[in-house]
Amino acid sequence: VSYSPTDAAPEPPAGSLVEPAAEAPEVPAEIRLALFRLVLLQRLVEERIMNLYRQGRIPGSVYTGRGQEAVAAGAGLALGPDDVVAPVNREMACHFARGADVSEVLRNYLGRATGPTGGRDGNMHFGSRDRNVFALVSMLGTLIPVTVGAALAFKRRGEPRVALTFFGDGTMSTGDVHEGLNLAVVLQVPAVFVMQNNGYAYSTPIARQMANTNMSERIRGGWGIPAERVDGTDALAVYASVLGAIERARDGQGPQAVEALSLRMDGHAAHDDGRYMDQEKRRTFAERFDPVERLAARLRLDGLRIDQIELLRQAAVDEVAAGLAEAEAAPAPDPTTLLDGVYATPLEGMTR
Amino acid sequence: LPQITYLESVQRALTDAMRADERVFVIGEDVGHFGGAFGVTKGLYDEFGESRVIDTPIAEEGFVGAAIGAAWMGERPVVELQFADFASCAFDPIVTLAAKTYWRTGIRIPMVIRMPSGGGIRGGPFHASSPEGWFCGTAGLKVVAPGSVADAYGLLRSAIEDDDPVLYFEHKALYRRLRDEEPDESHRVPIGKARIARSGSDVSVVTYGSGVDLALRVADAMAGEASLEVVDLRTLWPLDRDTILESVARTSRVLVLQEAARSIGVASAVCALIASEGFEQLDAPPAIHAPVDTPVPFAAELEDAYLPSSDSLERELRELLAY
Repeated sequence: VSYSPTDAAPEPPAGSLVEPAAEAPEVPAEIRLALFRLVLLQRLVEERIMNLYRQGRIPGSVYTGRGQEAVAAGAGLALGPDDVVAPVNREMACHFARGADVSEVLRNYLGRATGPTGGRDGNMHFGSRDRNVFALVSMLGTLIPVTVGAALAFKRRGEPRVALTFFGDGTMSTGDVHEGLNLAVVLQVPAVFVMQNNGYAYSTPIARQMANTNMSERIRGGWGIPAERVDGTDALAVYASVLGAIERARDGQGPQAVEALSLRMDGHAAHDDGRYMDQEKRRTFAERFDPVERLAARLRLDGLRIDQIELLRQAAVDEVAAGLAEAEAAPAPDPTTLLDGVYATPLEGMTR
Repeated sequence: LPQITYLESVQRALTDAMRADERVFVIGEDVGHFGGAFGVTKGLYDEFGESRVIDTPIAEEGFVGAAIGAAWMGERPVVELQFADFASCAFDPIVTLAAKTYWRTGIRIPMVIRMPSGGGIRGGPFHASSPEGWFCGTAGLKVVAPGSVADAYGLLRSAIEDDDPVLYFEHKALYRRLRDEEPDESHRVPIGKARIARSGSDVSVVTYGSGVDLALRVADAMAGEASLEVVDLRTLWPLDRDTILESVARTSRVLVLQEAARSIGVASAVCALIASEGFEQLDAPPAIHAPVDTPVPFAAELEDAYLPSSDSLERELRELLAY
């Protein structure tokens, strides 16, 4: 499907409450389409994973980023080819933006031998050495200093590269946020922090995490790092804002931050239905601010026909189905490999 | 050859490694123009500048994490923690990130964390600990502890050239106490290998760090009554099992000497190894000579009673020999 934003723009369907994503004319057509694929893929893969988990076909735990796909997609796509990123667990679309395919993600969830961690870790805990994606750990906040260190390497070597990570309103309470942001600003490294303000840390609302719930204001005032607030359900707005932050960091203006406001539409993980959340807000959000539908509505206003959008949706459905089939056919890990790869330089003492 | 101290040996290893490899840089608190709390990094700032000798805010968790990020990007950071005790502040990045990243993802984390450890300088409970045992047994980490001037150099050069995260415990009481020939620039000590610091036939003293010098002095003092073999572990994790078991097979008696409190550290692991795999070689139960299970006390009377000494080691050895 290709289109030009100058095509005749039809109205969105009557009766729809969906707020179209911002016009954002500076975001070119191919980026708009790429963003739509990314948010769709994250939505569809996560829906599939939830079902597989409930069927007992995925062990462990499952965390989704439903409602936050636009942040992962927009920030992931704004990165340059040589930039590096440390996504967290609601940023599957960021992995897709960096070149992961559906099968790779699902092979990690399924614990397959050919998955990115070979069955040694599960769910969103994976990265890629070759694509410069660091792997998430469960201790939230720890990736912030890691990202600062990668950016420090770029600064030391004079390379025009940027390191980006994500963290949420829950992580904002950890000491790593202070230590990492402070180090970044003192050393003036090209790091970008994308803050996912989704309102909840597991079951705890943001008001129980911090007194001043305006995270970007805290980042600006507390650490002296420029921070923008953006609508995190609008992929075009996120893309434009994070792209600006990345370019400023690349330009030598030091660390930058973007606070993306959204709502976690699911519970913390698959076992949690989020019954403690404000249900009215959840309903309103689903009707009006679903990031996938907001972008679809904007694409309609851009001039895409309904059938063209359906084609894009179907392409994503097909991509997920093919990825799942490939992942399920992948071999299970071999228990005799337990001791392999503990050390990059193995030692004789490691024999048992 | 000129004589240098243990501290100068660490310093020389850092300087030579930085001259040899652009990717090596030093990061930590007050390591720059001040030269580090113990003066180990003195001169590095003048020679290499602020992009390779990086002063940080007081934030161990932050700058250890940052070193991991730099190592991810192919640098070879050498972190200085002012005191090994502060490893507690950086525990998370060490055990969750540095240790597990290669195993999970194949991403190499070639970094060294230098940690001045040990007592004898009236440092008290927060500046005199020997916390190496917290990390021994943690897959993915390598833990080394030099007990001589030559090893201070050779182990640090090897650690910096290693592709895995290496924790380097340098003993601060040895900084100026030990003095020996200056090691050659090519000197390396293989990680994962213990050495026989002194051959003997009656009893093996398995030790590391400050215990090596102590055991060698006691071996001299007891030369008339018993032949001591001193095994310097050099690498505390993973252990060099073969060298330990071979020594026990030669002597049939073993005492593990450590400055860490008795129940946390290397001694338990060495004794477990010997009990399960060297039992039939033994003429006496394996002995542990280590401080009691408390933090390191401050007052001279208390710290002297707490730490192993030549008197206490001789007494323990005589008991073991009489069994």
